[in-house]
Order: sequence, then C-alpha cells, then structure tokens
Amino acid sequence: MTARSFETGTPAGERAGSPSLWSRIWQQDAPGYLFLLPWFIGFFGLTLGPMISSLYLSFTHFDLLTAPRWAGLDNYVRMFTNDPKFSASMRVTMFFVIFSVPLKLAFALGVALLLNRGMKGLPLYRALFYLPSLLGASVAIAILWRQIFAGDGLVNKFLALFGIIGPSWISNPNYSLWTLIVLSIWQFGSPMIIFLAGLRQIPQDMYEAASLDGASKWRQFWKITLPLLTPVVFFNAIIQTIEAFKSFTPAFIISGGTGNPINSTLFYTLYLYQEAFGFFRMGYASALAWVLLALVAIFTAFSFLTSKYWVHYDD
Amino acid sequence: MTDAPMKLTVVGAETPLWRKRAISILSHAALIGASILMLYPLLWMLAASFRPENEIFTSASIIPSEWSIDAYFRGWNGLRTSFGVFFTNSFIISILSVVGNVLACSLAAFAFARLEFRGRRLWFALMLMTLMLPYQVTLIPQYVLFRQLGWVDTFLPLIVPKFLAADAFFIFLMVQFFRGIPRELDEAAMMDGAGPWRIYWKIMLPLSTPVLATAAIFTFIWTWDDFFGPLIYLNQMRDYTVMLGLRTFTDSTGTSDYGGLFAMSVLSLVPIFLFFLVFQRMLIEGIATTGMKR
Repeated sequence: MTARSFETGTPAGERAGSPSLWSRIWQQDAPGYLFLLPWFIGFFGLTLGPMISSLYLSFTHFDLLTAPRWAGLDNYVRMFTNDPKFSASMRVTMFFVIFSVPLKLAFALGVALLLNRGMKGLPLYRALFYLPSLLGASVAIAILWRQIFAGDGLVNKFLALFGIIGPSWISNPNYSLWTLIVLSIWQFGSPMIIFLAGLRQIPQDMYEAASLDGASKWRQFWKITLPLLTPVVFFNAIIQTIEAFKSFTPAFIISGGTGNPINSTLFYTLYLYQEAFGFFRMGYASALAWVLLALVAIFTAFSFLTSKYWVHYDD
Repeated sequence: MTDAPMKLTVVGAETPLWRKRAISILSHAALIGASILMLYPLLWMLAASFRPENEIFTSASIIPSEWSIDAYFRGWNGLRTSFGVFFTNSFIISILSVVGNVLACSLAAFAFARLEFRGRRLWFALMLMTLMLPYQVTLIPQYVLFRQLGWVDTFLPLIVPKFLAADAFFIFLMVQFFRGIPRELDEAAMMDGAGPWRIYWKIMLPLSTPVLATAAIFTFIWTWDDFFGPLIYLNQMRDYTVMLGLRTFTDSTGTSDYGGLFAMSVLSLVPIFLFFLVFQRMLIEGIATTGMKR
C-alpha cells in the first residue's frame, strides 16, 4: 500500500493548523469515511448484518411467516445424519468440482501453450476461445446445452454418422452430470487468457539458456514453464473452484429446477434454493449456506497452506 | 498488447525450416479444429433459429435449407407477456446497475487508494474478504430484509445493492488502477486548493476511463446474465427479465416451439455479443490484468 506517502503530503487544512480535536478528525478522517459511505451501508446492511443473522437462523426453524424457533444444532445434525438429499448434493458438487476444475484448467493451459508459440492470428484465436466463456453463464446457453445432449440432439446426430446410437445424455443419470462438466470445460477461455498473460512474464532468455544446454522442449516445460507458472495455476485453481462450488444456473435450467434424474445434477446451491424457496425451510437453508462457506473456507485455507510446497514465488 | 516480440525463440535456431513449417501447420490445424468444435453449437443454434421448425431436429448442419424469421415473431409473442417487456426490464436493471456500480465502487476505491484515514487497512482487508464470500450466506436475511421493505416484485433488490458497492470485486479492480495514476497530479491539485471531491471528480475519474469502462461492461454483462436474483425477487411476469422469460419459455411450452425458444435465446445473447465485438480487447485485457472469473 503506497498510499502512506499521503501522510507527508499534508492536506491543506492541516497545514493551517486547526486547533480543536474535532476539526482535526473532520479534516483527516471524514473525507475517507464519506467516500466510503455507500460501501459502509452495503457492508453492514447487506453483508455483515445478514451474515450474523444467517448464522443465527441456521440454529432455528424458520418458515418466513412465523418467527424463527430456536432449534439448537438440529439443522446441522439432520444434515449430516438424516438427509439423503444433502449427501447426494454434496457428492454431486464434489464430483463436479473435482472433475470440471482440473480439466478446464488443463484445456486452458494446453491451448495457451499452443498459442504462446508466436502463432500468427493469436488475437483471433484468443477471441474465439474466449467467446464461450463470456456467453456461457447465460440461460440461453443452458437451453442450448439441454438440446445438444438430448436423445435427438446434436451430439447424437454426429455419433449417428459413425453408426453409434447415443443415449439421452441429459436424462441418463450416468451422464447427466458429465454434460454439465463438459459445459464448464467449454468455458475455458478466461483462465486461458490469464495463463497467456502469465506465460508472457516468463523471460525468454531462460529458454535460450536451456536450449544451449541441450534441454528438450519437454524438459523445458517441466523445469521452466510450469514452475514459473505455478502462481497463475494457483490463482486460477482457487477462482475456478470457488466458482464451481457456487454454480447454479446450468443445473437449474438443464434439470428444470429439480436436480434430476435421480438427483444426479442436484448441485449444492440448487438444493439450498429448493429448501429455501421451494419448501421455505429458511433455517435449514441457512445452515446449508454456512456449511458451504465452511467448505469454501477450508478449501481456500488448505490451498494457501500447501501453496508454499508447490507454488514458486520469485522474490 | 503487441503479439510480435515473442516469436519462435522457443523453436531453436538449429531446427530445420521444414520442421518449423510442419509444427506451425499442425498447430494451426489443431487450433482451427478446436475453434470449430467450440463454436459449432453456437452456430447451430443461430441456424436453428432461422430454419423451418420441422428441420430443427433432423439437421445437424449449420446452414438452413431455407431461411425464415418466423421463429423470431413466434418467440417474441410466445408467452402471455411479450419479450419486448422482458428486454426492456433487463435493460433498465442492467443500465441502472452499471450506473450504481461505477459510482459507488469508484467512490470506495478512491478512498482506499488515495485518502488517508484511520482504519483504512482494516476496512480494506474486510472488503477483500467479502470477495470470497459465497452469496448464499447472506441470501436469506437479505431476502427477509427486502421483503420487509416491500421490495419483492420490484427491481430494487437487484439495483440498490449496486449503489451500495456490494460487488467488491470492482472496488478492488479500481483500487489497482487508481494506484497506478501518478500522485503528483493530485498533489498539484491540492496545492491549488482542490479538495478530495474535486480530485476524485476532476482528476481521477477522467483519467480512469479504461477501468471504468471495463467495470461498466462487465457489470452490464453479469447483470444481464443474472438468473438467480431475478428468480427469487421477481414473480410477476410483467417484471421478468429476459433470462426469466427464457426459463418460463422452456417450462411452459412443453418445449413444443423450439424455433421460437432458440430465436429468443439468440436474441438474448446479442447485447453480450455486441460488447464482445466492440470491446473485445478491453475485455481480454481486463481479464489478463485482474484475473476475472469469466
């Protein structure tokens, strides 16, 4: 934070030497707090207040119409001992995170490496690969996906060219989640752009030196590119994992809000939505939200703690 | 961004010319193949919106046998309320969100980047922490609050938080940019007796158009695409956004009018696509420098 130098550049009012404490506070602190006023209202009214309130609600039964009834740990106990839909949604979400994030990042890195070889037309390719990532969050794309992977959809038409009769991917519980994973991978554009920016930071003379020493491309990748890129990998992995945990719209649209077939696309967020706004179990939904927060926090903390063993920071 | 200076140092000088050529051709082939594979679904949907209804499920090609814009008329009036209303609603919400986000976030960012006040570090750290917070944690109390205020079934729950800088990501983005603006400029202005407000309004904002534009464009796109907010706060069809209209279309028609559905889907993507065409460089640079999620 470089803003500290402001202390030496004395504001005009202070130079005049205001005597009273209040006017000094006014001169010094008031502008900052006034500029932050909208954010403060938002932070206390829409973030911190609701967080505390939601933590409280997670220990109650609350149906929105009558006052919350204290329930102690009931919600959490039920979640972990007696709620098959909770465990299903947890399994689905974990499966989604574990497969979609690494595959998406692998595609992003692979294409970025290919593009970084000084390809002609790089801006064009980069833009084309980025487009799905920009459009992908739209309901329209989820609708398209539902059609592509339907029994009579585009994918099966292509398979039919090779004489393969594909299943109805969307309504088959063995494949339905995979269609969502493919949708997520399809949007590899933005991590790819971040990888490209990172690759550009790697000094070219390192490769030249390695070439002179006779290191193969493969070896250069493992010994130079990947280690120097680990901060970017780390960053992308965190952002994409949190996004994957929060993913909602595709599963909602593709399953028509149900999470079916047989809960195979019941994302955690979708289950939370059903509990809150389908059954008005607001207390239980709040507890679900806090478990999600705990999951995200544990994952983030774990990543930061392990990062010193695999993320290369040059300082 | 110039792409020139990193040419082929990777393929060393000893590599024979024919091998370089071969590698280059293979790479282009792979990239072109991947582009086609990735864009095919989008092109197919575009084509489906222009082809006769009976051809949608029989053809995998991206060139309709005959062109017709009937589906656009059918889709536009496919629900009780016209899609014209949904588009108007989406535009109102998105544009007001842009105004709110740019104003409120730049005010907060200016305070964090340039003003000296007690507790700044603490507030800044708290602001950063909200970046990671899943919205589900504040969802239910916010809903209860907006319900008590009588704001359900209005646009207010979708717009007012933007005027309160609830999307901390953009504060962070702007702080980064403001810090890069030379301090001598505000110090000179201060010598001339300008207060913080004048410095913010007359110096910082005019010099920050790139970051303000990036924030405005991403706010527009994210608000336009937002499904969850409208889903819980808007229940009357006359208040629906385009995304809610599309969702209702998929449910209510029993998916009989696919042409109309695809036509409206395509239309819903047009504003985003236009941003992409016009501001592509800006979007890509925004992501490259700040690591945005999409």
